[in-house]
Amino acid sequence: MRTKQMLLALLTLLVCSSLMFAGTVSGKVTYTGTPAKQKPIDMSKEPSCAKQHATPVTVETVVTGPNNALENVVVYVSSGAPDDGQVPSQAVTFEQKGCQYLPHVLAMHVNQELKIVNSDQTSHNIHPLAKVNREWNKSQPPGTPPISEKYDKPEFISVKCNVHPWMHGEFAVLNTNHYDLSKGGGDFKLPNLPPGKYTITAWHEDYGTQTADVTITGNETKDVNFTFKAKAY
Amino acid sequence: MRMWAQSHLCQKPQRVTSVLAAAFALIFLILGASQSASALPAFARKYGLRCSACHESWPMLNYFGQKFKDNGYQLMNDRDAPIWQNPGYWPVTFRIVPIWHRVSTGKVAVDGGDGQVEQRITSSGFDLSGLDFHTGGTLGKNISFYVLPSSDATASFHFETVMARLDNVLGSTWLNVKLGKFELDNLLSEKRILTLTANGGIYQLYHFMPQGDGNIFGQMGANQLGVEVMGHSYNDRTRYSASLLSSNNGSVGLPYGANSYSGFFAASQAFDAGKLGVQRLGFYAMLGEAPTTWLTNGGAPIGGSGTGNKGFSREGFVGQFYFGQHFDVQVVTQHGSDSAWFGQGYGDYIDGYASNPTATCASATGPHVCNNTPDTVLAAGSRAPTWNGVLIEPHYVYSPQLIFLARYETIKMSQQSNGPQSANPSRSDLGNITTYTVGYRYNPFMTSRAGFAWHNEFNLFHQVGTSSLSNTNINTSEILTGFDFDF
Amino acid sequence: MNSLRPMRFTGAILFTAILGLVLAPGFAARAPAQDAPDVGPTPRLVMKPMESHIGNITGHAAAAKSDYRRYCAGCHGDLGDANGENAVWLDPKPRDFTIASFKCRSTLTGTLPTDEDLYNTIGRGLTNSNMPIWNTFTRQQRADLVAYIKIFSPRWDKEKAGDPIKVPAEPPVSIESIAHGKALFTKLECWKCHGPAGKGDGPSAGTLTDSKDNPIRPYNFALGKDDSRFKCGNTNQDIYKIFMTGVDGTPMPSFADVIQPNDAWDLVHFLRTLQINRHGKENEVLSAAHGVIPPYVDKNPAPAAPADNKSPGGGH
Repeated sequence: MRTKQMLLALLTLLVCSSLMFAGTVSGKVTYTGTPAKQKPIDMSKEPSCAKQHATPVTVETVVTGPNNALENVVVYVSSGAPDDGQVPSQAVTFEQKGCQYLPHVLAMHVNQELKIVNSDQTSHNIHPLAKVNREWNKSQPPGTPPISEKYDKPEFISVKCNVHPWMHGEFAVLNTNHYDLSKGGGDFKLPNLPPGKYTITAWHEDYGTQTADVTITGNETKDVNFTFKAKAY
Repeated sequence: MRMWAQSHLCQKPQRVTSVLAAAFALIFLILGASQSASALPAFARKYGLRCSACHESWPMLNYFGQKFKDNGYQLMNDRDAPIWQNPGYWPVTFRIVPIWHRVSTGKVAVDGGDGQVEQRITSSGFDLSGLDFHTGGTLGKNISFYVLPSSDATASFHFETVMARLDNVLGSTWLNVKLGKFELDNLLSEKRILTLTANGGIYQLYHFMPQGDGNIFGQMGANQLGVEVMGHSYNDRTRYSASLLSSNNGSVGLPYGANSYSGFFAASQAFDAGKLGVQRLGFYAMLGEAPTTWLTNGGAPIGGSGTGNKGFSREGFVGQFYFGQHFDVQVVTQHGSDSAWFGQGYGDYIDGYASNPTATCASATGPHVCNNTPDTVLAAGSRAPTWNGVLIEPHYVYSPQLIFLARYETIKMSQQSNGPQSANPSRSDLGNITTYTVGYRYNPFMTSRAGFAWHNEFNLFHQVGTSSLSNTNINTSEILTGFDFDF
Repeated sequence: MNSLRPMRFTGAILFTAILGLVLAPGFAARAPAQDAPDVGPTPRLVMKPMESHIGNITGHAAAAKSDYRRYCAGCHGDLGDANGENAVWLDPKPRDFTIASFKCRSTLTGTLPTDEDLYNTIGRGLTNSNMPIWNTFTRQQRADLVAYIKIFSPRWDKEKAGDPIKVPAEPPVSIESIAHGKALFTKLECWKCHGPAGKGDGPSAGTLTDSKDNPIRPYNFALGKDDSRFKCGNTNQDIYKIFMTGVDGTPMPSFADVIQPNDAWDLVHFLRTLQINRHGKENEVLSAAHGVIPPYVDKNPAPAAPADNKSPGGGH
């Protein structure tokens, strides 16, 4: 089993390195206008969580950075990528901590293992509101082992905890490994793209999606920027 | 708009030959106005079910509708109490039927050159039924009600149904108590009949009276005043009911007997017959007493003074047989019997007197006022009239929107009131009825907001020996088309 | 109506014929069932030869076509998309068969229910909803309807029903078992929604929504009397299955991964005592203990996290 995996990894490496010309798409996600003020969360009903937060917590529907940077945007290759079928063997982890989801938006490959961890001293239920995939809803009291799941179809799935109604997260189940999540500066980077025509999609849970077409011809870095129009409410 | 609440108005105790003519005259006056079904868009609005969920074809109930009714208009999901309803909900349904029909009545007495002759009268035209205001539902969890002010086609109103019911008493489906004026627990409900003509729009079995009979009180098809105890299993496969009724044929104001009651009992059991469907078998019995003796004032009978109770009975089997989802047959049998006193026309004195103060009934001493006064002795050879009847009604349900139906009903006298020993014996088949009805109802749409049926029907009615002059057979036919709607 | 004027029969026939002609077009063009005006044109439903197997009965989708229209479509919609003409008025909303997510299952959360689960749901109805108790149907009719609702979702083409969870034999009710059940009720935070006394008034109760964002109430255990029913049945086994498999499409999660089978029975026993007006062995045991549930003492304490500092404090 182990040798087989190693062989596979080696093969992948070989294939990748044989594409000597690996391009990169990178850029920045920003917004225009004024985003709605993010509502504060009152965790007083869950003291074990409330005491973990020294500063007031707000909802994370829209998280912004300096210079109109927009965070938590999933930027991914929605068509053109050659490695759609490759499922990474390592799991992605979704943590419940301080009655919040870490990360707030979690991208993963179809059929990739998803581990859900409860680091809180309170019971949560994890209720991803899948529509294309199977919808399930599981309880996870403190101290219980991680829940292991996977999704077999691409979908953006809202996650909520019914016990703590303020908890809200997103799963981005993608058919590609070429994805990135915009960080504090709104930056993203999609490396290792062989020459070809690609559609790059940027998805934000509240502001929707935008796409851009790029063509990679060789060992180059293409700049693609996305600008979302902020919703005032 | 039930005509039968008043139907005894036209029944004169003695003048056998004129009874039918008068009946037909009345029927003509309130033609087509014989519907009083309880198909309630109000219920559909409340629960969100389509009409078809409860009605095999509106207004006839299916098994689920019967269960809903037996539960006191409740789905039994703890959402039945009015507090669960939208405050704007109004539990009222209207029903009226505009029609065109053509009626052809045989052997009507008419004035001719040499006195009266019999002649067929055929007429056609547009017409209207009466109007029903159905309102019903729950007053609270397990308290239900039904009120039905109903008019004839001239907008003259009466209370067709008024009842309140305690449902699931002591938490048991086996005990429900209803008080008021209500339809007897007939599995094949005449109030939900699928036909509209004067003769085809009723079940003859539920209203049959032998020729000259004075018992107006034994009509199973007429809503009666009383109290009913009924119960059923959780899935309604087993059901029973027992009612204690005033023997006054649903008339208000205690107009007849001082102390006369009748009882109606029914029980049935349903069976799961696999792909055929749920079959149901049951029986019913109506046993009662009604007055024949009246106190009078200036010769006129005094309401509520009736004594001298005499007995009557109606009993039979009911079967609902299903052959898959499209075809079913409803069957009712009846064995009926009235006291010999009723057979001679005693009983309906008040209404008879009102319409014909000089009417007489036979007695041992010759013609006698139709009042069983202490001196009255029945004429020799007087016997209790008895009869047997059967009703067979097949349905072909093409879809929930289209039903074809037919009915064959026959009633045969087995013993005439004027027996062979009497001075004037009746022919053995006098008054026998045979009637055929065919029709279809098409609902062009199906929602839970309103009911609309395009109705077409043909009825043929045959009665032996009852023409007004020649005492020969009468054939009457009617063809009817109309829109039957409620909302 | 007083003038009875004779009329030629042929005239009557003619009239009926004309009337028939006028009305015939509506008759001939039998449109598909009319849905609510805002639903728009109805796409054609693709029939599939779905089957169901309940005991020795085989249900066939085709046989339930007319029954579905007659009994179900008003709420669940002709296309099974929970968009029937009355869906908008209902609370809770009808099931959307195109998603194939079902409340009452003997199988794990997220899996398809067994045919028998669906069959039982039809016959049992769903309390506190408008889903009637369809126990008037024949067994065959119910089996056919189970097959029919499978035509609406492609999941039934590919997926198999989940495996039913194993329900071990119920241990006897004891005050210890009730006490442990209460400790679980606290630890698993059932009370956050269902309330400390099971009255459906927990701190999160008002925030709950179903998977289609419609408000939904947690079950109130205290309301019922002897005839009380849960959404998915009224036996102790049914309660066991409800919290072990979860009520999919609602906030009620599955506890299958976090409760040991015997612990689950303890929880069942405690939940029964929340039905304060119900006569049953659990309430008998409780009243024999003078209505007091003793604190639960864990004989083999696990290295689990300390219990939450907020106690539900069920008032018995």
